[in-house]
Amino acid sequence: MGSDEAYNFVFKVVLIGESGVGKSNLLSRFTKNEFNHDSRTTIGVEFSTRTVQLRGLTIKAQIWDTAGLERYRAITSAYYRGAVGALLVYDISKHLTYESAERWLKELYDHADPHIVVMLVGNKTDLASVRAVPTEDAKDFAEKNGLLFMETSALESTNVEAAFNNVLEEIHKKVSSKEVTRGSINAVSLSNPKSQSEESQEEKKPCCKNL
Amino acid sequence: MEDQVNGKTSEKYLNTTNIITEDCQRVDSYGFERSENVAHDAHDALMSEYLVVLKRRSTKWSKLLDGKAKVEKNQKVKRYVRKGVPNEHRTVIWMAASGAQQQLEENPGYYHSLLQTQSDTNLKEIIQADLHRTFPDNIQFRSSSDQCLQKALYNVLLAYGNHNKDVGYCQGMNFIAGYLLIITKDEEKSFWLLDTLLRRILPDYYTPAMLGLKADQEVLGELVKAKVPAVWQAMARHDVMWTLVVSRWFICLYIDILPVETVLRIWDCLFYEGSKILFRVALTLIRHLQPQILQAQSLPEICQCFKQITQGRFVEDCHTFMEKIFMEPGSLSMAVITKLRETCRERILAESGSHS
Repeated sequence: MGSDEAYNFVFKVVLIGESGVGKSNLLSRFTKNEFNHDSRTTIGVEFSTRTVQLRGLTIKAQIWDTAGLERYRAITSAYYRGAVGALLVYDISKHLTYESAERWLKELYDHADPHIVVMLVGNKTDLASVRAVPTEDAKDFAEKNGLLFMETSALESTNVEAAFNNVLEEIHKKVSSKEVTRGSINAVSLSNPKSQSEESQEEKKPCCKNL
Repeated sequence: MEDQVNGKTSEKYLNTTNIITEDCQRVDSYGFERSENVAHDAHDALMSEYLVVLKRRSTKWSKLLDGKAKVEKNQKVKRYVRKGVPNEHRTVIWMAASGAQQQLEENPGYYHSLLQTQSDTNLKEIIQADLHRTFPDNIQFRSSSDQCLQKALYNVLLAYGNHNKDVGYCQGMNFIAGYLLIITKDEEKSFWLLDTLLRRILPDYYTPAMLGLKADQEVLGELVKAKVPAVWQAMARHDVMWTLVVSRWFICLYIDILPVETVLRIWDCLFYEGSKILFRVALTLIRHLQPQILQAQSLPEICQCFKQITQGRFVEDCHTFMEKIFMEPGSLSMAVITKLRETCRERILAESGSHS
């Protein structure tokens, strides 16, 4: 995680979804390969980074995690700034957490870039015996809303890598196809806010340092 | 030195909890597991020095209180509070100084009646979901523990949600109530202390719009601009919003940000003097972080600086730290804070109005 690491892109990805669906554990599974049965309630904003190789490119994924409780949205608009990807997480064993997906989606589009890559994530597949959200339902919902979809288990480490990598790959596709307009989605703004206007999502040379 | 850090005598000054001695190497006197990253020898040395201070303070406090559960507010008591309330007197002082004791006495049976009321299912569920996520590293909060505090925590939070419908339950309150239970070991007292904090001492941090919290984050920004301008400029240059780095400081009143003993010393002043103390602590921390913040090259690096404050001698040596918070940030009058709060509040309301 050193600052002298060379990379091609920095992608900011946010985790959203109701309290207790496992956002913090998805983050720690992806960035540290850790799972904590007794993790604390997340307060405020946390983030963690991991550098991944994707099609020969070095991508620094900067994943942001925040409290899921509704009223915290009052202070987390800063959270969405510059995000190019989002994992909208629900708990497959709690239907209510799935029902709120629509609300979260609205919240996201209200604050984030309209071209943001979103994946609907049904977490806790280890609790399949008490499943309350059928996979097909969620898949349909994702399709209708143009979202990626995947089911994961942070506990069993199932599909966590795949979920994040899929999102990162989609972001990269969007960025390199220039589908996103300059200045609208800004993959490097986090590491280099000053060059925003000239560089925007231009690919940085692999030799670039995080200055 | 008569007192041993982990010995019986120290419990009197630190915490009266009956944490079994064999656990002492693993957990501190409040039941928290000791972090593996902390240099225990250095910490123990610091604590044994501190116990001497506590013992001296304890004698002075006992003399001052003279067996009464009351405390007058005057310069002497204020000085005493700033120098630290020994744990054996903490509940009494917090209750008396904050006005919680008066509330408790004027409303006999009220707390228990709240537990009898029909509670909202949603309220129950969100509180329930946070019980095992409140201090899982504290043996007193483990469901396997004999006198597990989870049930008491549930009661206090549920009663509070029934009592203060505007607030209901907000994450962060679980940690505050948890600390109150660890110290008072009494649900009803914890309830009234929580109420005093939320209704009288703190602005509206936990209401759904969290306006008081938003305002205080901005107030801190203004204070930093005036008192630590280089940091303010660095924050502006990297476009770091204060909420990203300090929201937890205010929401959790420094729980999990600073070591337990230091948090309790801050709370001594919080209950006696009010919320101004939160800014003194923040400014002291930010001044201390200044060299690292100025070296940081990006927003993530700045966030990292703010995260690193949790450990180290600067924050562990609570007695010196408390001396610093009253010296280093310089003068800070309540009038200034009140005025800044008003200005920031208006600015936030105007901004949210123009967006909607």
